[in-house]
Amino acid sequence: MDLQAYIQSGVVESYVLGLAEDQEVVEIEQLIVQYPVIQLAIDEFAIALEKEAFENSLTPPGFIKQKLMDELAFSYNNNDKANPLMIAYNSQNENTTGQYQGKSSTNWKILAAASVILFFVSAAANFYLYNKYNTTNNKYTALLNERNLLQASNQVIQAKVNNYQLATAMMANPAIVTVQMTDPSLKENNMTTVFWDKSNKKVYLLTNKLPLPGPNKQYQLWAFVNNVPVNAGLLDPTCTSLCKMKNVDDAKAFAITLENKGGSQTPNLGQLFVLGKI
Amino acid sequence: MNSVTTYTENELVLLLKQRDQDAFGYLYDNYSSTLYSIILNIVPDRDLANDVLQDVFVKIWKQIESYDNTRGRLFTWMLNISRNASIDAVRSKGYQKSQQNRELTENMYHAGGSTELNTDQIGLRKIVNKLKEEHKVLIVLSYFEGYTQDEISKTLNIPLGTVKTRMRNALIQLRQIIK
Repeated sequence: MDLQAYIQSGVVESYVLGLAEDQEVVEIEQLIVQYPVIQLAIDEFAIALEKEAFENSLTPPGFIKQKLMDELAFSYNNNDKANPLMIAYNSQNENTTGQYQGKSSTNWKILAAASVILFFVSAAANFYLYNKYNTTNNKYTALLNERNLLQASNQVIQAKVNNYQLATAMMANPAIVTVQMTDPSLKENNMTTVFWDKSNKKVYLLTNKLPLPGPNKQYQLWAFVNNVPVNAGLLDPTCTSLCKMKNVDDAKAFAITLENKGGSQTPNLGQLFVLGKI
Repeated sequence: MNSVTTYTENELVLLLKQRDQDAFGYLYDNYSSTLYSIILNIVPDRDLANDVLQDVFVKIWKQIESYDNTRGRLFTWMLNISRNASIDAVRSKGYQKSQQNRELTENMYHAGGSTELNTDQIGLRKIVNKLKEEHKVLIVLSYFEGYTQDEISKTLNIPLGTVKTRMRNALIQLRQIIK
């Protein structure tokens, strides 16, 4: 048998870690008896593992030791003292059994009555505790729901705050061009604002006021590059604050038209809602 | 530790078998942190891990009679008790149920500060994390989650033979990391 190959096959580690299958355990335990070198390899790995485990350890809370000491106190060595007492108690009982024999039937009745009473008390207690448990459980579920709701609204608020932060940062950024867009005919007070970052060409749109688009209609943003309108993206009806649009390289003006849902290649200038020049 | 007494492993075992209270205190002081870390590696819930630690020391106390030091080191024996108790705790119905409840409110836990520790950096997980992914997954499933090789083969949809080979390789890698 090639002992080195066996030792290095991983079987030693799997034995120490308790991962070996039954048949492997039987095999290795037989081989240990024959070949002490296997036991050495086992000890070596066990010691290395022990060292490693000790290096990355975390102290448990102190109350556990106290609880353990209390719990195990009865079974410590000094319980020898308890034994003489037990013997004394037993012998006393033996001595007195004669006196009690005559009353044993009375004892029975008392015991039976006591157990019936105990049963009712316990049933009542169970009923009371069960009700209490139900109430608490309902309260707990309600609290859980409430927390989930709070969590959800917290997320909404966080999203809003993020948007505001983004908007504030943009307004403060000198590389950003702010373009106010209004109704060119001046009849409606529609208004939107484009934030255009010239350094990275990103475009964000804030809708201050636009009428709701009809069904199957959608607003589309256009950038005028060399007097040619270029598609700068559709307005997402679910975006309620600052919306990211398509990047624009160079523009002299921005406009928003109402198009059929899905957008168009060229703007329907008859449905021009707002326009803003840089 | 108030006392400066140190015991050799053999002395300690002998005293424990004689139900010596000081020896038990010594055992706790010297081994509880290490065993606690292993328990936390398997039971991330700290309250449950506390219960398991307590349970493990009760078991050690009650089963010390059956410990045979010619068959392995005391620590190895206690480590196996800890691992088995932890896996049992995680698989218990009560814990599974509490985990399901938790999943529903997972968001809450992430936002409100985790109640769990990052247990990847303590105990044996720290070493196992150094393994390659294909090896790591096998050790995590078998050692920390208690799956048999057969179950791993079915879960990961890898032939049993491959699982066995990879497991052996993973263990060899593990030994090299530890040495």
